[in-house]
Amino acid sequence: MTGGSVWTRRGLAAMGIFGLVFLTVPLVIVIPMSFSSARALTFPPPSLSLRWYETFFGDPRWMEAMWTSTFVAAISSVAALILGGLAAYGLRRGTFKGRDWAEGNFMAPLIVPTIIVAIALYLGLAKVGLLGSLVGLVVAHTLLNVPLVMMVLGVAIREFDQRIEQVAWSLGASWSYTMRKVVLPNLAPSVFAAWIFAFIGSFDEVIVTSFIAGKYETVPKKMFNELVLEVNPTITAVATLLIAFTVLALAAVAFVLGRAGKLKETVV
Amino acid sequence: MNRASRLEGFGFIAPLLVLMVVAFNAPIVYMLGLAFWEKGRGFTLEHYEGLLEAPVYLRVLGNTMRIALIATIANIIIGYPLAHWMRGLGSRGRMIALALVVLPFWVSILVRTYAWIVVLGNGGIVNRALQWSGLTDAPVSFLYNELGVTIGMANVLLPFLVLPLFAAMIRIDDRLLQAAASLGAPPRTIFWKVYFPLTLPALAAGALLVFILCLGFYVTPAILGGGRVPMISNLLDTLINQIPRWEQASAISTILLIVTLVIFAAYRRLDRKASGT
Repeated sequence: MTGGSVWTRRGLAAMGIFGLVFLTVPLVIVIPMSFSSARALTFPPPSLSLRWYETFFGDPRWMEAMWTSTFVAAISSVAALILGGLAAYGLRRGTFKGRDWAEGNFMAPLIVPTIIVAIALYLGLAKVGLLGSLVGLVVAHTLLNVPLVMMVLGVAIREFDQRIEQVAWSLGASWSYTMRKVVLPNLAPSVFAAWIFAFIGSFDEVIVTSFIAGKYETVPKKMFNELVLEVNPTITAVATLLIAFTVLALAAVAFVLGRAGKLKETVV
Repeated sequence: MNRASRLEGFGFIAPLLVLMVVAFNAPIVYMLGLAFWEKGRGFTLEHYEGLLEAPVYLRVLGNTMRIALIATIANIIIGYPLAHWMRGLGSRGRMIALALVVLPFWVSILVRTYAWIVVLGNGGIVNRALQWSGLTDAPVSFLYNELGVTIGMANVLLPFLVLPLFAAMIRIDDRLLQAAASLGAPPRTIFWKVYFPLTLPALAAGALLVFILCLGFYVTPAILGGGRVPMISNLLDTLINQIPRWEQASAISTILLIVTLVIFAAYRRLDRKASGT
């Protein structure tokens, strides 16, 4: 396949590089723009300043949104990790009937368009009087992130040799002891990756949150509302912070998985 | 023994199952109910008749389908050469390229959409370059029209096509292509008769996935369309949050849900074929 004329290969390389540029350049451009001193979004920025970061960190509404986002992401990611992790384990190791059906149900939030989940939850929460409550928000975020957790941990559990658990049981270890001392230590890198993915997933969620959060503002919800109204350069600083946060979180995942030699199977 | 094995492992999924049924399945069923029920009269199709009578709904539906189709085709045109090029790179180059595809995938959709406002705006880098090169005198308006929405959607969804396509491409055995070459097939023939057909199931699966995601897209059309490019999701937003007509919104959601599930079933079949299981 490496055959073909020089021109074919050059043409392909040009198209490939164009694809990568198309994917990454917008993100790269946002970063210098966030240090611009100007109100207008002109590239390159006329001169540098930190004024948009000062606006962001000095605005109590943004800080409150940041706190709400962190709080909801922290609780819902841990809940998704525990519930999704246990379920992934049960689905891989269990022998009960209807496992395919249950798995399909758990993965559904990934397939059903998010706007439909948002509307269904809006109507459902309105019915039980939990619209605009933190409880509703945390539950919704948990549901939305369970599929991510199950995908990452499902692979890890399938790759983990079941005989090791069986040995622990046959030597008289209890179920919870086997979990704590045998299964979890072996799966730790994947559990960490799943938790980070769930945290990012919750922290970035915008559609369901916009519908059901009521008076609560999260960072993406506030960002979305401002963007629909007008383009405010403070958003550029927020966007840069979110990019930095994602890069750091993914670097941590790559480091932990890479050290355990599991990077490839989780990424592709 | 038999009885125990029939339930073995069920305890692990029970907590999640309860949460899912109460907080996900029940609301969806309730929404379906609203679409088909009228208080005091029971089952009705009148909310659907309402949809057919108002031409605005059909126009938005057609609009959504058209934009979804164009964004999917753009994805194929950009994504296929990219994945194919990545396959031919060395292992180091592959890792870097893969990282550059995976990273945007995890960055908030909001940030990626906003980035296009910065890039495509009147003072943005694209318009600067166009004017500097003398291709245009006045700024080209990319934003707040269908073009901008399509570019933004194609960009946000590209990793969904490239990642599975790349995974399918690296599974193709090089010896197969070498065998074709040793039998005298020119590179063009090898590509179209051997390589391309082997990648087709993954390409079709990826394209269907992108199409499904386009149909329900909300954030990008709302921001890059500036309210001038109505798609189904934005119509639903209006029917829930602005002029509350829940039954109508439920009826449209039900249609979108059914269309999505049908396309998803096709996707599953192709995906199984592509991964050879």
